[in-house]
Amino acid sequence: MALQKAARPGSRKQAHERLLIEAAQKDPEQFAGLYEEHFELVYAYIARRVRDRDAAEDLTSDVFHKALAALPRFDWRGVPFAVWLLRIAANVITDRWKRSSREITGIDDPPEPLVETVPEDIQMRAQLFRAVDQLPADQRRVVRMRFAEDKSIRDIAKELGRTEGAVKQLQFRGLQTLRAELGGK
Amino acid sequence: MANRSEQLDKALQAMLDRRNAKPPRADAEIEPLVRIAAELRDLPREGFKARLKQDFQRRKDMASVAEPVAAVQPTVATPYLTCRNAAAAIDFYKRAFGAKEIYRLAEHSGKVGHAQLTIGNSMIYLADEYPDFGALSPETVGGSPVKMHLTVPDVDSFVEHALAEGARLVRPVADQFYGHRSGQVADPFGYTWTVSTPKEELTAEEVADRYEALSKTPPEKGKVNYIRSGFRTVTPYLMVQDAAGLIDFVKQAFGAQEHYRGTGSAGGIHAELQIGDSMVMIGGGGAWKGTPRPTGIHLFVDDADATYQRALAAGATSDHPPRDMEYGERGAGVKDAFGNWWFIGAPFAKSHVLPGQQNVTPYLSAVRTGKLIDFLKKAFGAEEMMRAESPDGVIHHAKVKIGDSIIESSDAHGPYQVLPSTYYLYVPNVDASYGRALEAGASSISEPADQPYGDRVAGVQDPFGHEWYMATHIKDVTS
Repeated sequence: MALQKAARPGSRKQAHERLLIEAAQKDPEQFAGLYEEHFELVYAYIARRVRDRDAAEDLTSDVFHKALAALPRFDWRGVPFAVWLLRIAANVITDRWKRSSREITGIDDPPEPLVETVPEDIQMRAQLFRAVDQLPADQRRVVRMRFAEDKSIRDIAKELGRTEGAVKQLQFRGLQTLRAELGGK
Repeated sequence: MANRSEQLDKALQAMLDRRNAKPPRADAEIEPLVRIAAELRDLPREGFKARLKQDFQRRKDMASVAEPVAAVQPTVATPYLTCRNAAAAIDFYKRAFGAKEIYRLAEHSGKVGHAQLTIGNSMIYLADEYPDFGALSPETVGGSPVKMHLTVPDVDSFVEHALAEGARLVRPVADQFYGHRSGQVADPFGYTWTVSTPKEELTAEEVADRYEALSKTPPEKGKVNYIRSGFRTVTPYLMVQDAAGLIDFVKQAFGAQEHYRGTGSAGGIHAELQIGDSMVMIGGGGAWKGTPRPTGIHLFVDDADATYQRALAAGATSDHPPRDMEYGERGAGVKDAFGNWWFIGAPFAKSHVLPGQQNVTPYLSAVRTGKLIDFLKKAFGAEEMMRAESPDGVIHHAKVKIGDSIIESSDAHGPYQVLPSTYYLYVPNVDASYGRALEAGASSISEPADQPYGDRVAGVQDPFGHEWYMATHIKDVTS
């Protein structure tokens, strides 16, 4: 019995991922599972390099469409699926830079280094983004509005019909919950 | 608690105000929360994940429709014909084979760059010659090694119609041992088409058995091939006073192998020798007191220089030593001691030799080669393969095909005058051919008659002084 192997979470995750990939290769309908699992990672990677939200969304969209098209050529024996996705992401970012530097002279961005593993900070961010979705609704709303949507405590309080003190409390608890989720990092 | 949340908010506000700066220093409990908050500035917008999922699922539905079509696209082999006049070929294939034109890309001149036809349910590509791209027609290269094969519902009517539209019959329609009824026609553009209708469903084993039986069965009387085994359609018959001497000469000079030597009907020697892939007959001597009938032969060899030297050593005299001829061979000429011309050639240009052209190619000098060719066409069904003619009408070189043999000819000039040569010519039906030859202007030497050696033979003399012994092999005789 392959108890030893099955007991290692890494290989169980790998086996699960392989099943998802093979299913999606046979039936594009199954791609949704891979998308659900990797959306945050790709978005986190792109958003780290492209601060503009619209651009980040465009590029994320590009990555998944390219991945869906190229999926039949993905070989699970090569790089992990996540690394494969990040390589696609690196390419679409580089392409965008090339395009914009042709439009705007003087921009000299460094080329994206070849992605070999999933960077730890990106992994952490992806985990954080997923954790946000698990927050209690009022904490989640405050965290989103305050950081992602860049709204002031006053505006959030008005919008939610709460006191500013209550909003600050929700913000505090939300961040504490997220910190706990990330294992104290 | 309220105090902590106030403290945290101050730190967060400071971080948010300096968007791209590092988070400000804070105490050990607050600092990690500020760092998390800084990361959250890149949080995807609410609903983006779900929107994107819907978006690519819509596109994927389209992709999943297109995908299987590409996946089931089979691998297809399509013949691509090159024709000297592709437009005429298309027209011919439409008329003769019922082809449908699907597509044509033509230059302004009408030259066809690419065309697609269907015959039945099969696609055929076709284009004019483009020598720069290696696209040469059978007419240019001297035939096609690739044969087309058509499977049709009714081979007899198909072939009949094709012939009426200008195809040439190569092999009449007949039942074949492998269960098909088939025949072969040639189109005017150099391609050969086997046309076939399956009549029996046979397994591979049954076909093999029939083939086995066929190859074991001795040919029945009246069913033998009309050409005696080992011979080709045309065989030069060299008649000289010293037949034995000529036999020795062709052995020494050209490595001829003697297959048969006996006494001919006129009391002289009759011998049959093989040179390369061809036979020559040699007769005369002994009781024979006829006029010598020398011949001109274009002899294809691998090494013209060596053959030339051997011929001289065997007693021939040189007409011209080996040199590279602009028409595509290293050629030399000798005349043997018996009056025969041997034009020894080692071809270096493929165009110089027709596919299947025999080692021993009769070379006829004629006062008017054009008239000789006309006669050969009418009398023996010869097919003109090429003609090199100068503006003043002098034919320098011509090739005609009779059955499986090529005959070359040029207008007589200088030392190369008309020779009163004799040829042995196998025909499917000697009686019919004899009649046609007389109609074409030949005079009779002998009417068709069965000979003891298994051939039915008739002799005629053409208007140019050559003798033709036409023969149909009717039974195999063991000597």
